[in-house]
Amino acid sequence: MNVMITGAAGGLGRALANECGRRGYNMFLTDINEEGLLCIKRGLERQYDVVVAAAACDLTNPESVDKMLDVIDKYGIRFDMLLNIAGLDFEGGFIERDREKLVKIVSLNNAATLRITHAILKRRRPGKPFTIVFVSSLASMFPMPLKATYAASKRFLLDFAVSLRQELKRENVNILTLCPGGMVTTRETLCSIKAQGFWGNVTTNPLESVARNTIDRALSGKCIYVPGILNRVLSFLGKIIPRSWIAAVIYWRWNNAQSKWLNNH
Amino acid sequence: MKTIVITGASSGIGLETACTLTKKGFNVLGVARSEANCSRAEEKILSENPDANITFFLADLMQQREVHRVAEEINKYLNERCDGELYALINNAGCVRSWYMTTEEGYEQQFALNHLASFLLTYKLMPALIKAHGRVIMTGSESHKGIKVHWDNVKLFRRYNPLTAYKQSKLCNILFAKGLNDRYAAAGIRAYVVDPGLVNTDIGNKETGSLVNLIWSIRKRYGVSPEIPARTFAFLCEQEIPPEGLYYCLCKEKNYSRQVTSENADRLFELSERLCDIHYGRVQMI
Repeated sequence: MNVMITGAAGGLGRALANECGRRGYNMFLTDINEEGLLCIKRGLERQYDVVVAAAACDLTNPESVDKMLDVIDKYGIRFDMLLNIAGLDFEGGFIERDREKLVKIVSLNNAATLRITHAILKRRRPGKPFTIVFVSSLASMFPMPLKATYAASKRFLLDFAVSLRQELKRENVNILTLCPGGMVTTRETLCSIKAQGFWGNVTTNPLESVARNTIDRALSGKCIYVPGILNRVLSFLGKIIPRSWIAAVIYWRWNNAQSKWLNNH
Repeated sequence: MKTIVITGASSGIGLETACTLTKKGFNVLGVARSEANCSRAEEKILSENPDANITFFLADLMQQREVHRVAEEINKYLNERCDGELYALINNAGCVRSWYMTTEEGYEQQFALNHLASFLLTYKLMPALIKAHGRVIMTGSESHKGIKVHWDNVKLFRRYNPLTAYKQSKLCNILFAKGLNDRYAAAGIRAYVVDPGLVNTDIGNKETGSLVNLIWSIRKRYGVSPEIPARTFAFLCEQEIPPEGLYYCLCKEKNYSRQVTSENADRLFELSERLCDIHYGRVQMI
């Protein structure tokens, strides 16, 4: 089994790479952070008896992606699974934020994800089942004031993934969309989850079990995975409550949490 | 003057131990993560003893490349000013986590900091320790009892339980000390573990979730002052003839878990050597 993981040096990427290592899958890892990428590659090779290749790449830059694809083609690597983990978020009000940073959310979360998905689909192992995981978010279920661009970019992934899944069913490709709540991956996410207080705590998913279940569900042909019972209830409520009401409630909550978070810094 | 390295020296037990040892005339090299905490710690130590010899090195020991970097800085310092001799290494830095979090290498953080960082740092400083017939002291815990090492799942990837991870990392500390004595006693090295008891520090309040935070905030009120374990560290450093025991509390030997065997220690060495990509030798008895 050959697995391509983007964003492999980050929290969720590392957890999934660990999970793949435990299952004995060979991996091709990429991330913009070259040093971090080499660290996780070393860590995986020391722990598991698997082949790990890694190449740093800026997925938002087509030339950088082409360079990585050249490496892949040079060795004729063919894949059985693609884990699209790379993504980013900047919180805060729309007009208060830097213009280019906002655009970057969409160019990485959406444009770059399309680019790499297309490229790796073309390099899937012929005649074998293929699996893709997109990382959307619980945020994709609601309109989210103060996280508007991020939530909308995740909504794009959710809708795109579900449609693409239908398109590629006949090609023996399964696509799972992961919609987690918060996950404690870095010191910063820990701070922001703490700032959200009670709701931050109860919507937080344990990283290790999310990683394991994601691979299990992707392999067994599931479509959407929302980890945690409460998160499933919340995502159901998102479907039946009028969207303008949800936006009002979420604005109120985020405003409180973010002012608390900013006060701490 | 004898030089001692203490990790996690900017707060809690490490800070108090650094304070006590400088007062006893040791040259102390502290390692800690936050620059602000280091300067605060340095101020406190100098305010209690203006003649204290204290130097701080910055490093986030959870990350292995940081351990490598700081070990080189310390070795350079030792070669330039201490004839390349290190009298004692106190592996005290430790953490508690509420959630499964990983280091850059993808290792579970409590295991990485509480055990692997000590394992790697000790290895890197071993030549200086051997030269001084030095001592290696770990900050352990009574909680190392009542648990076995989960060999098939050391990083506790399935069903992460913060307390289990902590207990296991503290059992690793004492297995590491046992393994060091097995390997290096002939070279004059002695390794110890200090049980600090329940101490009023902030370990459970740093980067943990609400539940662990709350429990620890209540529990630490019943803890003793960090001066109490600092005395035990000082006791182990001061004895001219190295004491024979392994596990100490309140300056006295104490019984440890039956899991602490040479066989388990060897197994831990083998695993940790793989995870750090190093190889400890074994000094033969002459």
